[in-house]
Amino acid sequence: MQDLLDILNLKTHFQTQEGTIHAVNGVSLSLSDGETLGIVGESGCGKSVTMMSLLRLIPMPPGRIVAGSAHFFGRDLLQVSDTEIRTIRGSQIGMIFQDPMTFFNPVIPIGKQVAEPLEVHRNFTRAQALERAAEMLEMVGIPRARDRLSDYPHQFSGGMRQRAMIAMALICNPKLLIADEPTTALDVTIQAQIIELVLRLREELGMSIIWITHDLGVVAGLAQRIAVMYAGYIIEEALVDEFYANPQHPYAIGLLGSLPRLDANGHKRLVSIDGLPPVLTSEPNSCPFAPRCWLAMERCQRENPQLRYINDKHRVACWVDIDSGKER
Amino acid sequence: MFRYIIRRLLILPLIMTAVSMLIFAMLSLLTPYERASLYVQDISKRPGAIDSIIEKYGLNDPIPVQYWHWLVGRKDANTGEIEGGILRGNLGWSKTGKATVWEVIARRMPATAELAIWAGIPMILIGVGLGVISAVNHNKLPDQVLRVISIVGWSIPVFVFGLLCLMFFYARLGWFAPGRLSDWAMQVVQSDSYRVYTGMYTVDSLLNLRLDIFRNAVSHLVLPSVTLAYLNWAYMLRLTRSSMLDTLSQDYMTTARAKGLTERLVILRHALPNGLIPVVTIGAIMLIGLLNGVVITETIFDYPGMGSFMAQSALSLDVISVLGITLFSAFILISGNLIVDILYGIIDPRIRLD
Ligand SMILES: Nc1ncnc2c1ncn2[C@@H]1O[C@H](COP(=O)(O)OP(=O)(O)OP(=O)(O)O)[C@@H](O)[C@H]1O
Ligand SMILES: [Mg+2]
Repeated sequence: MQDLLDILNLKTHFQTQEGTIHAVNGVSLSLSDGETLGIVGESGCGKSVTMMSLLRLIPMPPGRIVAGSAHFFGRDLLQVSDTEIRTIRGSQIGMIFQDPMTFFNPVIPIGKQVAEPLEVHRNFTRAQALERAAEMLEMVGIPRARDRLSDYPHQFSGGMRQRAMIAMALICNPKLLIADEPTTALDVTIQAQIIELVLRLREELGMSIIWITHDLGVVAGLAQRIAVMYAGYIIEEALVDEFYANPQHPYAIGLLGSLPRLDANGHKRLVSIDGLPPVLTSEPNSCPFAPRCWLAMERCQRENPQLRYINDKHRVACWVDIDSGKER
Repeated sequence: MFRYIIRRLLILPLIMTAVSMLIFAMLSLLTPYERASLYVQDISKRPGAIDSIIEKYGLNDPIPVQYWHWLVGRKDANTGEIEGGILRGNLGWSKTGKATVWEVIARRMPATAELAIWAGIPMILIGVGLGVISAVNHNKLPDQVLRVISIVGWSIPVFVFGLLCLMFFYARLGWFAPGRLSDWAMQVVQSDSYRVYTGMYTVDSLLNLRLDIFRNAVSHLVLPSVTLAYLNWAYMLRLTRSSMLDTLSQDYMTTARAKGLTERLVILRHALPNGLIPVVTIGAIMLIGLLNGVVITETIFDYPGMGSFMAQSALSLDVISVLGITLFSAFILISGNLIVDILYGIIDPRIRLD
């Protein structure tokens, strides 16, 4: 399969009062046509910043993309002109966000907001665009959408707003949909409906998806591949089946929940991760997870492990072989 | 919405009553003798005149009785006719204006309205415009410069600024003159061939196709309107700036950019309609509030509007004039606020008035 998106060594920093925050530290990811990739990690690990960097939506200053490339259809998104990146946003790459309330403009009717990408990218007239917006809203499951075009966001329920957000992101039929925790703000039954909707739309429209979430349960049914982020690094990446059957990084295991595992002494124990992820203000010369890791060895304290293939569908950045508890 | 308006309109008379009672209560601070003496010239030559006035107008009556008479009128002991009574539409005779209070209002209100418009519209346009520029260039050079200017503007009181203007532009340079018109222009305006439409010289002169009069009127308006607007445009700038900064940091700005809009469209379509909501309402309240500022400004520039009249009446203890004008201003203020509320309900779809 041809790669649709190829991110190489992306680094994004923020200049703040406390110093330079290293939010993304050399992320490399690729996505092939029609594929769905799940990105998982705790709050603050750099998932959003990675995606926002792709579309150059990072506020600059304080943000700065320090290094890397992101090839999309052969063009490097990080190098193209401002005009060119604008023609890609909303047209070839659609994006949906966590909180559909705050990400909709409160004083503009939903219909107008959903229709807007067509006016900008496809030269539709307002009337044509609204017509298409109504169809799109019907498609994402908003009944009698035509009558609701002039409703304001506060008149929609949370689930309907997220549906409308999806309609807005997909209205130009993009090749790639980036979904940044789109179900986190919704209750469980609505979550399930939204996921079902995205599955159906993927079937019908055939776009690739990057799905960001905290929740490994949610992404299992959606993604073909999963990448786990920690402190701005990808620390594990694998095909879904392989990942759930054979997680390698202690952090990923912790995320997967209380799975019984062997510890360094060969005892079975329940794993949960205490503590908080670090905010990096410089390149670490130890594994950033070491302070929270129950398997940490001497080497973890003095060398940050690189992401390495352990077989052809599985990459992990850890010095410890989880199955033996010994150094790899 | 409709019911809301009705309800607000019903409250109006209540507030007016409260305001007028308050002023009347303050009357008890003055002795009847003090109040009557205003109407007598050359007190020393006409002993007894004051007593007859106290008698004639019932100034010795208890305050509530006087209030009642002021409301519904009072029967004159000699002629037997009912005189005054604001409920009968009679605001009384203004000693200071040498006309009925209504006539004074009719004559002076256009002058004040003209001043408020000339002060208010540029103030809002400039304040809002600079505020938006400041916010969009947050922490860059234009923002820094404007911040300094607005802080300096904010910290100089109106009367100091007005007097400085007067000293410099009028006394020193002789550019602008006090009053409303120069003498020659005043003669034209009062001549028969000149038609009066609104009483606002800048408007009427254009309708009469007299550009020279227009220019003359504007040159008289420049100093008082700048003085009047001065404090407010600095405030407007700061308000717009902070409101726009807040809007620009909202999540939906990211959405707009993620849809591929140009930065210009992002600002025009998505930021301004939100960022200007508080600005519109406060701007409108401020326009109404300008009517407070006119007392000082008109007095400084000898501008014959409601404000300077109010000051004169108050200084000469002309209670009837003060009462009438205050009541009229209260009416304008309250209905202005109602209009602002309705406006708010229109521009912000999240607000439901009921
Ligand atoms: N505008 C900013 N200024 C300074 N630091 C920022 C800014 N935006 C993000 N960061 C920092 O970048 C890091 C990564 O943030 P990011 O939003 O990508 O996390 P996330 O993985 O998306 O978390 P969440 O699950 O909470 O959305 C955080 O440490 C955050 O403090
Ligand atoms: Mg995030």
